[in-house]
Amino acid sequence: MTENWVSAIPSAEAHVIDRILYDVQHDREEEKRYFADPRAFIAGFPALSLRAAEALAANDIGRLYLLGANPYLLRAYCLQLRVPEQEYLAALRAVAGKTIDG
Amino acid sequence: MAEIVGIFGVSHTPVMTNMPDAPGAAIRDAVFEAFRRVGKEIAALTPDILLLVSNDHLHNFFIDNLPAFCIGAGDSYDSPLEGWLKVNRREVPGHAAFGAHLIESAFDAGFDPAFSMELILDHAMVTPLELAGVAGAFPIVPIYVNCVQPPLPRMKRCFEFGRALRDGIERYSGARRVAMLATGGLSHDVGTPRMGCINEDFDRRFLRLLDDGDPDKLARFLQVEVNTAGNGAEEVRNWLVAHGAAANCQFELYHYQPVPEWYTGIGVGQWTRR
Repeated sequence: MTENWVSAIPSAEAHVIDRILYDVQHDREEEKRYFADPRAFIAGFPALSLRAAEALAANDIGRLYLLGANPYLLRAYCLQLRVPEQEYLAALRAVAGKTIDG
Repeated sequence: MAEIVGIFGVSHTPVMTNMPDAPGAAIRDAVFEAFRRVGKEIAALTPDILLLVSNDHLHNFFIDNLPAFCIGAGDSYDSPLEGWLKVNRREVPGHAAFGAHLIESAFDAGFDPAFSMELILDHAMVTPLELAGVAGAFPIVPIYVNCVQPPLPRMKRCFEFGRALRDGIERYSGARRVAMLATGGLSHDVGTPRMGCINEDFDRRFLRLLDDGDPDKLARFLQVEVNTAGNGAEEVRNWLVAHGAAANCQFELYHYQPVPEWYTGIGVGQWTRR
């Protein structure tokens, strides 16, 4: 059976991703800072794993999903970034049945 | 003492107001008519208070402190939380005293909900209220169930929470007529590879089981089978709270339509006396 969630509770790695997604969505100053220079913003989270930092910097939606980012936060983040809907859906569908390890 | 004068269940999705025309006029109009019917029936019940049972989408709450259940005890609630939601901003009146009473009565019943006096309503409550035409018409008490980030409260517990709410409502002397609107589900996925898939079989079995009269059977079905219906289907917990509050009522389905263009199985109905 397919499970609804990547993990039963967020990993420490996913927690940092979620923190960034949450802050960018809910704190106008953080949003401004992020959009001014996303890579510099991401670099300000030393607890973020390298692979998560790379996925965020590249807007790799499928990989962020597989890393356990909360799907609702990721959805809102993609709306905020104005990712075209079909591109967003295609990125998710491309990782169907996969795990972060392959 | 207060009595529950009506309990309704509806789906919620922001795309109903953001992309209303996506499924075509016939489907849109039928769904919207079902919401208007619910709104008219709530209005006709002249409730003193409208209880809203739904879930936050990681706006008011984050995983630094995420309650399984939370009851609002504010005087008013701003809405909508999402700037991208295409509805007008509105201050919805709250009923702080009733919220406080429900928190206390939940404690008496062995539940330990969080409470909040600073909630901003997101699409889960705003979209149904707007489509039903009753946004701001009655003081509300918002009740939140975590449906968006595991670990999640068990299905059976949500039913039992609803039963406890009913007891609390019926012990309240500060109002006479209380209506309840639960929103969420039915089958859908948000932000997963299955987004756009709808499990109509799950939805119809769920809706049938609401009328079956065996809450344990319903909770067992949902606890397992929800994984076939998508992460958004976890929101049936909100319906289960309503089902618990409805005691021995039967469920009357007003409308069901799988709407892939809105990514969601849309259900609308009311619990009525047998």
